[in-house]
Amino acid sequence: MEEEPMSVVFQVGANGVGLLDPGSETNNVEKGAKVDLPFWLAHDLYLRQATSINVPACFNQKTRKEIQADAACVDLRMRCPYFYELGCKTVPLVGDKSIGSFLLQAFSSRYKEVLSKSHSTPTTTASKFLPRLTKEETQLFEAAQSSMASFKKWRVGGSRLEKASILGKKRKTTLPIDPPSP
Amino acid sequence: MYGRRASQLLGELAAAETGQLTVYNSDTFDQVIKECNEHNVQLQSLFRKMEEQNLDIQTTRNEDYFGAVIHHLSLARNKRCLMAYMYNRAETIQSLRWKIGKKLPQEIQEKLSFSEGEYFKNHSAAIDSYMSELDLDLTVDMIPPKDPYIQIRVLDDIGEVSLGDLEISLTRHSVHFLRRTDAEQFISQGLMEEFLG
Amino acid sequence: MAGQSDPHLSIFSAPEVEFLAEDEVIEIVPNIRMESLHMICGDFGPFFPQIAAKVPLWLAVALKRRGKCAIRVPEWMSVERLTQALEAERESPREFQTLPFHYVEISRLLFDHAHDDIPDEYMVRSLIEDIRDVRFHKVETGLESISGRTHAVKLKNLSAMEVNIVRPFIIRTLQAFYKHDSPQMIQQPEATGNRRSQVADRGPRRDLRPR
Repeated sequence: MEEEPMSVVFQVGANGVGLLDPGSETNNVEKGAKVDLPFWLAHDLYLRQATSINVPACFNQKTRKEIQADAACVDLRMRCPYFYELGCKTVPLVGDKSIGSFLLQAFSSRYKEVLSKSHSTPTTTASKFLPRLTKEETQLFEAAQSSMASFKKWRVGGSRLEKASILGKKRKTTLPIDPPSP
Repeated sequence: MYGRRASQLLGELAAAETGQLTVYNSDTFDQVIKECNEHNVQLQSLFRKMEEQNLDIQTTRNEDYFGAVIHHLSLARNKRCLMAYMYNRAETIQSLRWKIGKKLPQEIQEKLSFSEGEYFKNHSAAIDSYMSELDLDLTVDMIPPKDPYIQIRVLDDIGEVSLGDLEISLTRHSVHFLRRTDAEQFISQGLMEEFLG
Repeated sequence: MAGQSDPHLSIFSAPEVEFLAEDEVIEIVPNIRMESLHMICGDFGPFFPQIAAKVPLWLAVALKRRGKCAIRVPEWMSVERLTQALEAERESPREFQTLPFHYVEISRLLFDHAHDDIPDEYMVRSLIEDIRDVRFHKVETGLESISGRTHAVKLKNLSAMEVNIVRPFIIRTLQAFYKHDSPQMIQQPEATGNRRSQVADRGPRRDLRPR
């Protein structure tokens, strides 16, 4: 998550780090340069008052309107796979507390969609909606899916002792009735 | 971008299915270490420049200082990513002892670096000595057991094995009635399967 | 034992829940004579042919598999009682009926090992399936009501296996809501003069029920 790019403005100059600013002719970053930095660097420089941080695009008014209109249909993963995590960490940096309420609102309305699909839908039919989920929502979905799957497996019965999953999947025969081996 | 390569290393871990082990990426690992050295050289040279100008590194806040800060942060970031990479793999490697047993099959061995292989051996030995002190095999019955004896089918030619007081020849496709605790390890290694007649 | 199958999650696997259910006591009718058994969990027996005895389920199953006893199916597993239970489940969308805490596991163990002791086996089987479906649907509907103000979920009469299935999902959901609704993230609309206790501030405990 901390690799997510943040748009920042340098409040100071920095020598010997020209790589950060593709527009720089010298090996330095000038004061006032507008650069995209990964979150971890932007954050630490902000704490040292070396940069100011702009609100990331996924929390702008346009996204907010889309979420208000139809939260479940918005492809948040495309905008930022770590939407909620980045939001939480951005709030103290940009001092815009409305992001917090926006995150809660987005999560609450999207949560219902995840819930309705998570326990009872087979993964194949969920494939249309899965790619729109952020990391956090996907984990929620998968937690439900895997616990349901393991319950179903238990109900069907059969052998409990299995090949360790870390080993290759080839020759996976755990069902009581096997096709005759060649 | 600084730190990008190190995060790619972690991306490899994240992309792998949970609980799976990826091949140890020594190339990228070494490159990141090289990057670290690079950052260190730059950092030192910026500090030297400040010292030459008789500036106090503790209090001066000039361009050189912030350049040095950025190199320092990048260095720390890289280091953190490398540690995370090692740590996560070490956790998986520890779990191998419980899931597979003392001897690792070729397909796993290939994915480990030399020191990771040593780590597994030592970790495994520590568990063994603890278990022999207890006189109890802690690695069996990871799933609540049902019967002390189970019927199994051999999936691969294992050969002559001595199980307790029993000498047994395990040839492919043969079916045997074994103590479950004896069979468990063969099953988790994929050499046998439980045979529910 | 929780989490032995997956040390990273502190949850029980389905076989582990079944293992716990095997300690439930059930009645058997032995067809053999046997001395008392002295176990860590207690003494059982002595056993005499045709005289009912109470034993833990795991022992009942072990004896049954060796043909040493018949298992007396518990009363709640009769067609009559299950039909009642199913109707009651359907009629009260807000509550769960009182069923044994391990009804899912016990019924499955009996279907697997003592199906000849169950009268109307197929009927019983399908009734239990239906009851479970209705109840699970209720759980899902109830989960919709979780919001930022929820800090605990009360699930009266839910059984061990049912809780176990939804546990990973609920835990993550509550954590996410808790995080997004924390005071650091949200502007508090109330004036600061209105000082209520921290606990009251988190909102009421929410019963897991459809509205």
